[in-house]
Amino acid sequence: MRTLAEAAIIVGAGALLGLAGNAASPRPATLAHPVHSAAESGTGMCAVPGAAPAARAPRIQVEEAKGLCDACKAGFADARGASDFAAGHVTNAVHLPPAGHPAEAVAIAALRAYPMVIVYDGDYTCALADEVAHRLVREGLPDVRVLEGAWPAWVTAGGAGTSGFCPSCHDPAEVHR
Amino acid sequence: MNLLLALLRLGLGGTFLYAAVTKLPDMAAFAENVANYRLVPPSLVPAVAAVVIGIEISLGALLLAGRLARGAALVATGILAVFTAGLSQALLRGIDLRCGCFGGTENATWLTVLRDAGMLAVALVLLVRGPGRLRERAGVTRDQPRDAPAATEG
Repeated sequence: MRTLAEAAIIVGAGALLGLAGNAASPRPATLAHPVHSAAESGTGMCAVPGAAPAARAPRIQVEEAKGLCDACKAGFADARGASDFAAGHVTNAVHLPPAGHPAEAVAIAALRAYPMVIVYDGDYTCALADEVAHRLVREGLPDVRVLEGAWPAWVTAGGAGTSGFCPSCHDPAEVHR
Repeated sequence: MNLLLALLRLGLGGTFLYAAVTKLPDMAAFAENVANYRLVPPSLVPAVAAVVIGIEISLGALLLAGRLARGAALVATGILAVFTAGLSQALLRGIDLRCGCFGGTENATWLTVLRDAGMLAVALVLLVRGPGRLRERAGVTRDQPRDAPAATEG
């Protein structure tokens, strides 16, 4: 009985400690937001389970994409998982995993401001970017490319990353109106 | 025997504490790992992830200090049983996932299950035999009785 009481105290205190630790964490888990498994969100692998292989979308080389980013002539869509996106992404990119997310309409609307949209994922061999690229084409976006070499190539090439806006523009919607 | 039990307790406590400390800087990533086990409803995943880490910290601290050690061993037994079952069901279902055990990107394999099962066995031993102590008290030569006061443990 005593052991059970001790266990109950430990679980209760541990729960409170964990919630406090989460609040203090540099990257806390957002308690109000559900977290879906990678399989359910289609972001933890290089293809959506059960889906037919995506046709290869038109590619764009990193150097050309960098120039378009710096000139604010292209919007970027990140097809990777939420944690990968949060850890670092092309500057000004919107998060657009294949399974979508609650704010995807806003993200797609933002991409319509650009004459070209460049989609990328996390690996050279991934097909997630192709999935998203085809979806954007179906949404009516006129010119959608997939970044050759994906995120690793962008990082290697020193492309603008992490957060904020492209170096030469602070309000892309305004620039492209 | 007491010395062996104490060493097992310290090892288990240190492992729990290390596991928690490696996960704290990126709780969001750990929540994703928890979600990938597909055992918890998505809406509960963030809270469960936070609670698991809090319990790990508590277990680590208590096992290292030798306080409430029986209760800690019971909770450790329960949580490790859940970990082992969760890992096993994921591997049996063919789910390719990261373990989430010590932060980082360690993939879950049957070796991970074996490691958890080993820790589970240690927790069970501590639960049944008591936490042991590093130094024998004067006049005490036998294993600590199961109903010994917690204040004398450690």
